[in-house]
Amino acid sequence: MNRIMSRRGVRLTAAGAVAVSALALAACGPDIGTGETTSDRLQAPTAAQPEGEITIWDRSGDLYEVFDAVIDDFNEKYPKITVHHEAVDINSKLQNTLITGTDVPDGVFLDDALVSGYADHLWDLSDVLSPYIDDIAPQKIDATTVDGGIYGVPYDLNPGLLFYNATVLEAAGIDATTVETYDDLLAAARAYQVAVPSAKPIHLEQSAFLGQLQLEMYASQLGTSIGGADGELRLDSPEYEQILTFLDTVQSEGLGTRAEYLSPTDIAELENGNQVFYPWAIWFDFAPQQLLPDTSGDWRAMELPAWTDGGVRSGAMGGSSFVLPKDGENSELAWLFYEFLMYDDSGYSAVWGTNDVYPTGLNTSIPAYLPAADPAKALFQPVDALGGQDLWKVATDAGSQIPGGTPIPSWWTGAVDYLGSDLQRMLDGELSPDEVISSASDGIQTNLIDRQ
Amino acid sequence: MTTSALRSAASQHVRRPSAARLRRRSAPYLFVLPFVAIFLAFSVYPLVFTARLSFTNWHGSGAAEWVGWDNYAYLLANEAFWGSLGNSAILWLLIVPVQVVLSVLVAVLLNSAKLRLRGLYRVAFIVPFVTPLVAVAQIWVVLFDQQYGAINAILGIVGLPDIGWLTTSTWSKPTLALLFLWKTTGFIVIILLSGLQSIDQSMYEAAELDGASKLRQLWSITVPLLRRTIMFAVVLQTLAVFQMFAEPFVVTQGGPYNSTTTAGYYLYNHITRGDLGTGAANSFLLVILVMALSLSFVRLLRAKD
Repeated sequence: MNRIMSRRGVRLTAAGAVAVSALALAACGPDIGTGETTSDRLQAPTAAQPEGEITIWDRSGDLYEVFDAVIDDFNEKYPKITVHHEAVDINSKLQNTLITGTDVPDGVFLDDALVSGYADHLWDLSDVLSPYIDDIAPQKIDATTVDGGIYGVPYDLNPGLLFYNATVLEAAGIDATTVETYDDLLAAARAYQVAVPSAKPIHLEQSAFLGQLQLEMYASQLGTSIGGADGELRLDSPEYEQILTFLDTVQSEGLGTRAEYLSPTDIAELENGNQVFYPWAIWFDFAPQQLLPDTSGDWRAMELPAWTDGGVRSGAMGGSSFVLPKDGENSELAWLFYEFLMYDDSGYSAVWGTNDVYPTGLNTSIPAYLPAADPAKALFQPVDALGGQDLWKVATDAGSQIPGGTPIPSWWTGAVDYLGSDLQRMLDGELSPDEVISSASDGIQTNLIDRQ
Repeated sequence: MTTSALRSAASQHVRRPSAARLRRRSAPYLFVLPFVAIFLAFSVYPLVFTARLSFTNWHGSGAAEWVGWDNYAYLLANEAFWGSLGNSAILWLLIVPVQVVLSVLVAVLLNSAKLRLRGLYRVAFIVPFVTPLVAVAQIWVVLFDQQYGAINAILGIVGLPDIGWLTTSTWSKPTLALLFLWKTTGFIVIILLSGLQSIDQSMYEAAELDGASKLRQLWSITVPLLRRTIMFAVVLQTLAVFQMFAEPFVVTQGGPYNSTTTAGYYLYNHITRGDLGTGAANSFLLVILVMALSLSFVRLLRAKD
């Protein structure tokens, strides 16, 4: 009996020890109990030749190679700063790194849509950016602004353009360059469908995420976005009503190709001449260059149609910035790196100009820094896949028109479950524009905004 | 030996040097200490931390407000949460029963001594399991493309209409289930093969002498004796289906219309949008559900035994 009791005692003691240890360990974990705030405005270093080491995170791929090649130029200006450049799966690694505060990098390449969600962990760059702020595209400043602070060094501007297959449209007797409004676009699509009955001329995005991103491009044209500066929902507005009605018309009249961006169906319909209008960000130009061998050279880009006569001809779709975590060891030196990269002629010329990775220049975006995006001083060369068109001029002209007033709320990505999904239902004919606005507003307000 | 003699021997035993006694008594604990330390750090601690987190509204920075049972109440009243569980339940129905039947049949075939190239077949079945999912997913997307995929092309030959395998909420779950079946059935076959090899061959010989057909042998010998292994596979796959994340993430992104947002994917959405408190509560609800399911399977097995 005593032996049994003794075993029980040992078991109880062991369980108690485990529980106590676990509770003690839990108390030692990431602090979830304090809300201390310190000054979070980054200041530039004052030394003429600052020195130290910085760790920079970028996504792997071509862009990593481009930024990597700029480090030598940076070191010519700042020889005492050592840059550790790392290719990282940022979306999966950054959140944990910032929360735990372990091995935090000094600078990170980040989607604009994610910046506001991490703002508490980032330096407010208002002071260091102040010499440049008047020359940065207002949309980019809005996209990285939270409660009056700016939390990202704007990298690229992604103007929305109307890509069109000039060859098949001309063969059908349609001059796409006369399209100036979305009503004109509908008329051109109807005319093309008469000439080519199998055609579904306008792209209707089938991915919930990209569909919402494209919707925001249209909204950006009208100077609005789903979230206001104070995080309030702005979906129930005449602007969204107008955009959704246009998309619903394309769907209901059978003028749209329902396909996910560059999926096999999308590519096939682009190649066979059924899908000839693609309102998308500048980065669609990757497709004619790499994925559309049959129609490469047939495509052209122009400014988006306007929502009203004489209206704005472009809106922003996507984009990225560089953020500087407060827990980085040498954030002020990382700022010098990004300042060189984005605001020094040799920096941005190395990124967008001809280089080893892009022999004709990086033409899937343009700089957010307006002096670098001068229509008269092209950084990348004309694009053969667009019939030798001067895409730089088209994109910089379009980019200069993109209005401000379009913040990106921290709940933007979460809204895809509601707005992105309901938009797809509408494009499949299941919801009306009013129902999308009502249903998505309710879902976003209840599940995202009210739970902030 | 008298009682006093026994006491005397015991007292001598008690009077051994205390250091040696301590060493002897503590040895087992020292042996298990590395495991306990690792278990505490990587299992118990995250569990307790998550439990604590589930009662807060923490978003990854700043002060966490204690919200009591709010996160749990929100989830239990949330249509999307139940929708994600419903999606997982339907996927379970589409996957697990089919997989068990298929795996038993394949394992029996692969266990047959008369089968030539058994080694080759066994490797062939396990290859999908070890192939990176991201690569498989891309092939799946191309194969099941509505307009230009090979599957619809084959169906078209026999006059069937194009199906939106990945673009309609009706077909997205069966397509995802098919991917999961293709990817993991080989693993279950290997588990069942190990179970088959522990069955005494003399039972089959005796059955044959009694004139039992192969089907009868399968039903009356193989299946009953494999029951524990089958139940292990069912529990394993139940856990896998309810935690399924990578498949919807890379193939459908939870769509269309959240029809492939599984319980695991829904949980991930809370975490990525920084709603860590709700995510923690969600994970606990999922743990409770999966534990309840697993325990009920085990009880079922015991009842049969």
